[in-house]
Amino acid sequence: MRQARRGELSAYDELVRRYQERIYATVYHMTGNHEDANDLTQESFIKAYSALKSFKGGSSFYTWLYRIAVNKTINFLKQRRNKHHLSLDDLDFNAEHDPDLMALISEKTPHREVNLGELQKKLNEALMKLSEPHRTVVVLHDVQGVSHEEIAEIVGCNIGTVRSRLFYARQQLQGYLADYIKT
Amino acid sequence: MSEIPDDFKNLRRLLKLKQHEVPPPGYFNMLAGDVISRIRAGESGGQHTTLERLDEQWPRLAALLRLFEARPGVIGGLATSVCVVLLGAVVLVDRTDEADSPMATMQMAQAASAGPDLASAVQLAPADNSGIMVSTNPVSSLQPATTLFGAPESSLFQTAAFTPAGH
Repeated sequence: MRQARRGELSAYDELVRRYQERIYATVYHMTGNHEDANDLTQESFIKAYSALKSFKGGSSFYTWLYRIAVNKTINFLKQRRNKHHLSLDDLDFNAEHDPDLMALISEKTPHREVNLGELQKKLNEALMKLSEPHRTVVVLHDVQGVSHEEIAEIVGCNIGTVRSRLFYARQQLQGYLADYIKT
Repeated sequence: MSEIPDDFKNLRRLLKLKQHEVPPPGYFNMLAGDVISRIRAGESGGQHTTLERLDEQWPRLAALLRLFEARPGVIGGLATSVCVVLLGAVVLVDRTDEADSPMATMQMAQAASAGPDLASAVQLAPADNSGIMVSTNPVSSLQPATTLFGAPESSLFQTAAFTPAGH
């Protein structure tokens, strides 16, 4: 970290490799588009590098990096309001063997003929219907597993707001996906 | 208190599907290299856009500009309302000047005391009574107006008087 702040690119390359998967995943789940996620991830790392000297260390580097990526993505989504274009990544091999998902399809879903690909599309479309702040909280917490405290730090609000946004977002998603989730 | 109500259990199960979405194979092997080469390219040239610089120094102004960029209708509406306000102000000032003109007020008062016929005549007469014809023609605009008695009633003309010494 210290070496990267001194401008050593090899050290920064290490930092990028360490965090790239988490940053990419967050941006991808917020945009639902691989190409946009690729651009925004790169731009986030570039901006973080240029702002590295101003990083005071008040929060962890990981939280600070997340904040840059989330803000950049939200700004991007605001400019592209109502022009969502899904370009989804493929599902990995393990998806078909995930017991939770299999149970959801075979037992819980009223639409029994539904397959994983269709479910993925419906899920992403439902996520895109949420407002950016609500989507951010659901993605960070329910998909990425980030804690409420860290989300509050990343988004710049208090924990109560994080919890209420999460509750509201889940309610909305539940409504959008009612045909695919047996409650 | 349970943090996650039971109602959302199935939703959270479904959201697990997102964790199985993966980018094309080898994507992460390229990403760091791309980032570093873009940083190198940026170091050799200018790497900040104006908006990014503004974002660092005046984030609120940058946010306002982004809002205009995102919603062109907002800037259109703002410009229209500014124009309407300016136009309204000009019309209002114009009307106030007409009503407050001291000459017009004085003429109206005199005419009212003289009688109704004169009052209507004064209303038709121009407010400017200086004896100068106002015209857009630069030659005629400064010509004194003639009166019924042959001499203009203007301070521009003074009668000359000569008194020889000793008389």
